[in-house]
Amino acid sequence: MPQATAHELENDSLQSLAQATVGCDFHIRFLEGPACDQLRRLGFCETLQVRKLANGRNLICSVCGTRMALSRKLADQVLVAPVPA
Amino acid sequence: MERHTETVALAGNPNAGKTTLFNELTGSSAKVGNYAGATVELKTGFARTPHGRKLQVVDLPGCLSLDGAAPDQQLAKQALLGEVAELDKPDVVLCVLDASNLERHLILALEIIETGIPVILVLNMIDVAESSGLRLDPQALSEELKVPVVPIQANKAKGIVELKQAIRHPLPPAAEATWANEGKPTEARQTKALELCDLAARRPDAHQSTRSDKLDAVLLHPFFGWVFFIGIMFAVFWSIFSFAEVPMGWVESLQGWVSGLVEGAMPEGDLRSLIIDGVIGGVGSVVIFLPQILMLFFFIGLLESSGYMARAAFLMDGLMSRVGLSGKAFLPLLSSYACAIPGIMATRSIDSAKERLVTIFVAPWMSCTARLPVFFLLIPMLLGGSEGGWVQACVLLGIYVLGTLTAFLVARILRGRLGPDEVEQHFMLELPPYRAPQWPYVFKHLAERGWAFLRKAGTVILGIVILLWAAQTYPKSDSEDPAEQLSHSIMGRVSQVIEPVVKPLGFDGRTGTAVLTSFAAREVFNASMFQLFDVEEDPDDEIGSREALRERLASETWDDGTRMFRPLSVISLLLFYIYALQCLPTSAVVAREAGSWKWAVGQFAFMTAFAASASLIVYQVGSLLGF
Repeated sequence: MPQATAHELENDSLQSLAQATVGCDFHIRFLEGPACDQLRRLGFCETLQVRKLANGRNLICSVCGTRMALSRKLADQVLVAPVPA
Repeated sequence: MERHTETVALAGNPNAGKTTLFNELTGSSAKVGNYAGATVELKTGFARTPHGRKLQVVDLPGCLSLDGAAPDQQLAKQALLGEVAELDKPDVVLCVLDASNLERHLILALEIIETGIPVILVLNMIDVAESSGLRLDPQALSEELKVPVVPIQANKAKGIVELKQAIRHPLPPAAEATWANEGKPTEARQTKALELCDLAARRPDAHQSTRSDKLDAVLLHPFFGWVFFIGIMFAVFWSIFSFAEVPMGWVESLQGWVSGLVEGAMPEGDLRSLIIDGVIGGVGSVVIFLPQILMLFFFIGLLESSGYMARAAFLMDGLMSRVGLSGKAFLPLLSSYACAIPGIMATRSIDSAKERLVTIFVAPWMSCTARLPVFFLLIPMLLGGSEGGWVQACVLLGIYVLGTLTAFLVARILRGRLGPDEVEQHFMLELPPYRAPQWPYVFKHLAERGWAFLRKAGTVILGIVILLWAAQTYPKSDSEDPAEQLSHSIMGRVSQVIEPVVKPLGFDGRTGTAVLTSFAAREVFNASMFQLFDVEEDPDDEIGSREALRERLASETWDDGTRMFRPLSVISLLLFYIYALQCLPTSAVVAREAGSWKWAVGQFAFMTAFAASASLIVYQVGSLLGF
């Protein structure tokens, strides 16, 4: 049985910002999708910390002190991992 | 030899404070709003350094990147690269950054440094940065990037002298973009921005709950958010119609006083009639609505500068998406309730080109304030009685709702026909912190809009009113009967020719002529009706004058004795004014913003045909049903 790499295991534990729980802090791990450039122009990038503030058709998050509203489709392209407690 | 005046461009993200800084540097009153899209065109002015050197200052629209699709982003890029006609390439760029948000704002600054233009970084809103616990080190930032860095607080004019000192001869050289060759450009800039923030803008905790968060918990709540939104919109529109009565009375009194002066100073004759009946009466029937127009612009400015407008766009996005638009179309459409021209210009902040075109196309169906004189004349005729009352207010609300719903329906159809964007656009919006409105700029913007309205009244509308008066007065007939005189005049003859065309819509020739004259500016309809139906307008009593006109209209009959202005006819006329595009300045702006006269002509033709069809169908079906 092939062994999974640490990278693959890490990827499996990631979730999109759209799936993330409201009120929690996350590290951005990857930006994956056709709108990556739009996200980067907004200021999203790997290693940044983001807090999800509200869910809905468009979700609200806080990145570096700025409150941003994003569509769920955009948020689906931001893969995050919880910040360790 | 004439000394070359150097050009300084202000660039930066939306809401960074570029326009506030521009006003401080140049002493002028460019529009400022706490909502992306407030500056939608280039503004230029002049400033002087402490050494007396004159500088041309250009305020560019805010953008997140120079590669964005929205027109204001492209305009900013073209201006920086010297590709805008009549504007020199900047000799230096002041990159205005929100000091509390450098992780994001530095990305654009790095992109501008890559263009090779000399750059000075301006860290604005240092008070906000410091109060949020950020530890800024402008010196370290300057040493790392090899560009001057100046901290300022533009809204309090702090740091402006130091900034002007930085723009001294010799100008700083262009810095080298050392990060530019390290992988993909966007990622390289982001990595560099984060490194710079680690060095010069350490953040203790990125997620301190602020007052804005607490307010958003209510104002963006899935239920209470909508309650507040509807309440705020209702309060705005109710205030406009309630509080405007007092200043409208002042305008009336002023008109009456001027009219009395002229009457006392001039002998009776054509010239006095032209001035009193034509100019004062005609233009006065339009200017009386200036207080309401100003109040609507005041509230829009208040919502923008406080930061609530971004929240409104957020709430409206779901609803707007059902008709193929996004929340970013909310501000242009809301502004169009005051006047379609600034509303159409505000569409420059919409990223999707196709969504922008659709928004431009339907914006004139947000019933603008120019239609109010017509509505205030006609609505009481539907219900009987004089102006005012909650029932008439409900009818007026229904008119607004009808125009808006039709706009949304057509937007949905048109958006479907235009097809998807080449690059899919997603909703993304910065929610700026709530701030106290900057009252000087709110009131200065009001003064600009008021002056623009008065200028239109004093040019286009004045010209039309004079032509109308002349067309109604000449050629004169020998008869003493006013009806005979009118019939003999140019206007009377046009009415006779036009009647067969408009009769199926329920209008007689005179009403048809009034409709025709109002295609240049719909505010002229009332003035035309006063003249065509030979009702004297009292400049000191606009409400009484409209009452007199309504009484005259109510007494008019067709040849067969039936009432000419029965409720069905009035509804037909109202429908025509809800849907027709009767504003040449709007068509000119549409041609410019859509990039083609085809859109402007197509919009005009479509809306005229739609209006005529709606009136025709309602009148004919209503007549068949016995109304």
